[in-house]
This record gives sequence, C-alpha cells and structure tokens, in this order.
Amino acid sequence: MNDTESRRAENREESPPIFSSWGVLYTLVLAGLITYILLFYIFTKVFS
Amino acid sequence: MGTADWFILASFLIFVAGYGIWKTRGQKNMRSYFLADRSTPWYTVALSIMATQASAITFLSTPGQAYVDGMRFVQFYLGLPVAMIILSVTAVPLFHRLNVYTAYEFLELRFDLKNRALGSILFLIQRGLAAGFTIFAPALIISVLLGWNMNLVIVVTGGLVVLYTAAGGTEAVNKTHLLQMLIIFVGMFAALVMIFRLLPPDISFLDATRIAGKMEKLNAITFSFHWKDRYSFWSGLIGGTFLALSYFGTDQSQVQRYLAGSSIAQSRMGLLANGLVKIPMQFAILFIGAMVFVFYQFVAPPLFFNTVETTRITASAYAPEYQTLQREYQRVHDEKQSHIRSMLAGIDARDNAALNRALSDLRRSKTSETAIRGEAVQLIRKVNPKADTNDTNYIFLNFVIGFMPVGLVGLVLAAIFSASMSSTSAELNALASTTVIDIYKRMISPNASDRHYLIASKIATIFWGVYAIAFAMYANRLGSLIEAVNILGSLFYGTILGIFLVAFYLKKIGGNATFFAAIIAELVVIACFAFTEIPYLWYNVIGCTCLVILAYLLNPLLDAPKRQPAAE
Repeated sequence: MNDTESRRAENREESPPIFSSWGVLYTLVLAGLITYILLFYIFTKVFS
Repeated sequence: MGTADWFILASFLIFVAGYGIWKTRGQKNMRSYFLADRSTPWYTVALSIMATQASAITFLSTPGQAYVDGMRFVQFYLGLPVAMIILSVTAVPLFHRLNVYTAYEFLELRFDLKNRALGSILFLIQRGLAAGFTIFAPALIISVLLGWNMNLVIVVTGGLVVLYTAAGGTEAVNKTHLLQMLIIFVGMFAALVMIFRLLPPDISFLDATRIAGKMEKLNAITFSFHWKDRYSFWSGLIGGTFLALSYFGTDQSQVQRYLAGSSIAQSRMGLLANGLVKIPMQFAILFIGAMVFVFYQFVAPPLFFNTVETTRITASAYAPEYQTLQREYQRVHDEKQSHIRSMLAGIDARDNAALNRALSDLRRSKTSETAIRGEAVQLIRKVNPKADTNDTNYIFLNFVIGFMPVGLVGLVLAAIFSASMSSTSAELNALASTTVIDIYKRMISPNASDRHYLIASKIATIFWGVYAIAFAMYANRLGSLIEAVNILGSLFYGTILGIFLVAFYLKKIGGNATFFAAIIAELVVIACFAFTEIPYLWYNVIGCTCLVILAYLLNPLLDAPKRQPAAE
C-alpha cells in the first residue's frame, strides 16, 4: 500500500465527529477564512 | 490598585496553580507526563493551542498596535486556517501513527540522528530564550506602570508556573489553559464593555466605529502589495501560512498540545477549531485597541505612555520644555475634539464637503501631534540616551489602570498574567520533553527505567523554569538585544520548516543533503536579517525555499538514492 492509500485508509477508519468527511470539514474551514476576509474587507470599506 | 483588585488577582493566581497541581497528581510515567496519556478531547486541544500562542504580549502590545497602526495586524493570522488544514492532512496522522513524543523524533526516523539533533537544538535555543522573554516582557510593563518590583513579579509568575508544570506535566498545562482562556475571554470582554461606557454620552458605538474608521484605525484588510509592507493581505496569507506551518508543525511547544489528543480526529479538530477561532479573537483584541484610541480622542492621552521615562524627564532640567510640549499637545487635542464632532455631523447630514473639511482639519491636527511627540521623544532621549522610545506596549495597560473601575483592573491584570503563565507553562513543558526525549534519553542515558525518565522530566522542567526566570531577571540589561530575541522565531522557523517539508514530501532527499542545506539556508536568513530591510514575515519563506532547493541540488552529491523509509 503506498502513502496515499495508507493515508486514505487511516482517514476512512476515523471520520470526523461532525460532517461526513474530512474533505467537507476542510472546505468549511476555507469557506470560513474567505468569509472572514470578505467581512473584514466590508468592515474596512464601510468605516474608512 | 484597590483591595478588590489585589484580591481578584491573588485569588486567581493561587487557584490556577493549586488547581493544576491538584487535578494532575499521580503522574506515573513519561507518557502521562508529556502526552497526558493521549486522552485530551479536541476542545481542550484547541484552547490549549490558543493559550500557548497568546502570551501576555498579545494582550499588552496588540491593542497598542491597533492604537498606533490600525487593525491591519489581523492579516498576520490569515494563513492560519490554511496551515491548520495542511497539518491536519500531513503532520497529525504521521506523528500519531509513529507514536512520537516530540516532532524531532520523527526527523531521526526519516533521516538520521544529526538532523534530529539539529532540529531539537535549534528549538531549545530559540524557545529557551523566548521562554525568558515571555516572563520578562509583561513583568517590565507591569512594573513600570504599577511601580512593582520587576524581579518580584518575575519570580512570583515564573515560580507559580514552574510549580504546577513540573508537578503535573502536560495535563496540568492543559487543565490550567482552560481556566486561563476563560479569564482571558472574560477580561477582554469586560475591557471592551467598559471602553464604551467611558465614552461621552453623545458618542454611540456607531459613532465610535466611524471615528476609528475615518482616522484610519479600522484598516483590517489591505490588498495593495509592497514587499516592504510588514502587514498586508499578501504577506499575511503567504508569509503567515509558512510561519504558521513552522510554528504549529515543528515547534514542540505547539506540537505537544495536539500530540496529547485522544485520537487523530480529536487532534485535527483541535487544530481546525484553533484556525477558525483565533482570527476573530485577534480581531476583537485589535478592535479594543482601536476603541481605546477613540476613547483618547475625548480624554487627553499622556504625551508619552511610559511613566518611568516621563517621571524621569519631569524631574530633570528639561521639565519646563516638556511641560510646554504637554500644554501644546493638550491644545491640539482640544482642537481635534471639535473637528471630530464636525466630522460626525457631516456624516449624519451626508454633507461630503463638511466631512472633507473636518477630515482635512483632523489630518493637520494629527501632523501637529506627531511633531509634538517627536520633540518629546528627543527630550526623553536627552535625559536618558538608552530610553525605549516606543511606548506602544504601555498604552492599553495605562488605560486600564487609569480609567477602569476597581475590580475590573484586577480582572484584566488576571487575564494578562493568565496569558503570560499559559504560554510559559507550554514552553517549559516542551523544553523539558525535547531535553529528555531527544537529548538525554536518546544520547546520554538510553536504558534507564521509565520512573527515572519521569524524574528527569520534572528536573528538566524545573531547570528550564529557573533558566527562564534567571534570563528574565537579566534581560533588562540587554537593551536592544531583546528586540533580536523577539524576532528570533522568524530567524529559525523557516529552516526548521524546510527540514520538515523535505521530510514529509521529498522522500528521495537524504539526511546529509538536508542537514547541509539547513546550515546554508540558515546563513542566508541571517544575512537577510543583517544586511537587508526585508520584513521578518518573509524570512520563513526565504529560509524554507532556500533549504528545499539546496537540499534538492545537494542530494546527488551527498546522499545515495533513497529507498522508502521503513517508518512509512
């Protein structure tokens, strides 16, 4: 089993406590980052 | 400080230390001492990671930074979620599967002993000095503003931390982190509420935010790029990702926090939660600083916030000149208040002409203020040539002590001490684990019993605690060297990260190429620091990139073709 397959096997054995997969969770974290950036940008523009 | 403030502060310090010792009594072996038996849930991992990073300087200096420079420092953390994802995918499952105690153990499994030794020694040098600074810096600021004996503050803070960290190891660190983060959140919330209550009755939250915004303090995101710009979206996202990868992926003070996770999933969740919560937390701290700035538009701020230097100058022959500057500063401040109210009236009336006139007047007032402060700084330097003329670190605490009510002063001070203790405890815990696992057990005494190593671990914790306290007490004499210590992380992190990146992703590169590439890359970073004006956030990128390229080029000369490492 190569590295990628063994990593996938590890991941399959332990899914996150919320959401169906780690990929979904990572996507949500990135979406959270983009949301912060947008909110901060709007905040900067509105009040500056 | 009032009696209530002393009571709150003293009670909290004693309770935290006692709680840490009581809850973690009966440590049996190194696994329970350094990894809390791998029993930590994700929310404790997350809070512990945040508590480790958030030192007292975060709460003393960051609001001051927003006061002076605006909120753009929040961009420093934009790379954090990206780094947390990368570490969740790579480092966490690998470290868990290999059952390592330290990040540097992995380097020997991947390369050889000399790379492990290099990584661990670089960490001990850098973090050992930082541990002393973590205790020294808040003690200095507090002693200046409250008149306390600085060495006493250092000994009491450091001593309490050593007590519960040596007694309970990682679990004591984790349990006290929960309490410390709670008091930090409560203290910061209380400070923010009080700032708004102290504003003039006719100034609303929206008015305050408008004032801060128009006076360029709410500059949270700046997309423009200039390589010399210390905090921009690009340096934060790119440089910040590299810095976060290095700090959270290779610095044992953070690695140890998530190695204690009860499973890969719990460790990952802790890292990801940290990545999401840290950004708004820093935003809130910076916003507090921006609101302190607004407060001081209606209450005249001191001409210079470091009261030791102002006391010195008012007792010197330059006192009359300084007092003249203070009167002029007050006059400009009074003018500014009327310009601010004109600005708010222009906004409410949607009168752009009036708004622009008021902004123009405010810019002129700001120029006058800057000139007056510049003259004041020159006078301070005449009286004391060694004076620290950057008073940013004193702004927030000056406000707390001068204007917050009895009880809340003690609460905010408890929050600041919590931050200092939380960082220091994690640092001592990590220094001890690296010393015992990577140096003592690996190279000096490999065949002793687990009980022997447990005792050695406690001794190592005490040793590093005493070292940090001693360095903190000596640090006051080092002057500008303290600034070098402050950016020490960025001098080493890029190289350490490069070693780990090669270890994780470039399987064909061997230990010799990596080791010598690390030496050369480190010299390049030091040269950048000594001879260029490149902002420190880019050192990580430079060190890491140099190492990876050099290791790739040196590999055919120094290492035989690599087989797959047995550990994988």
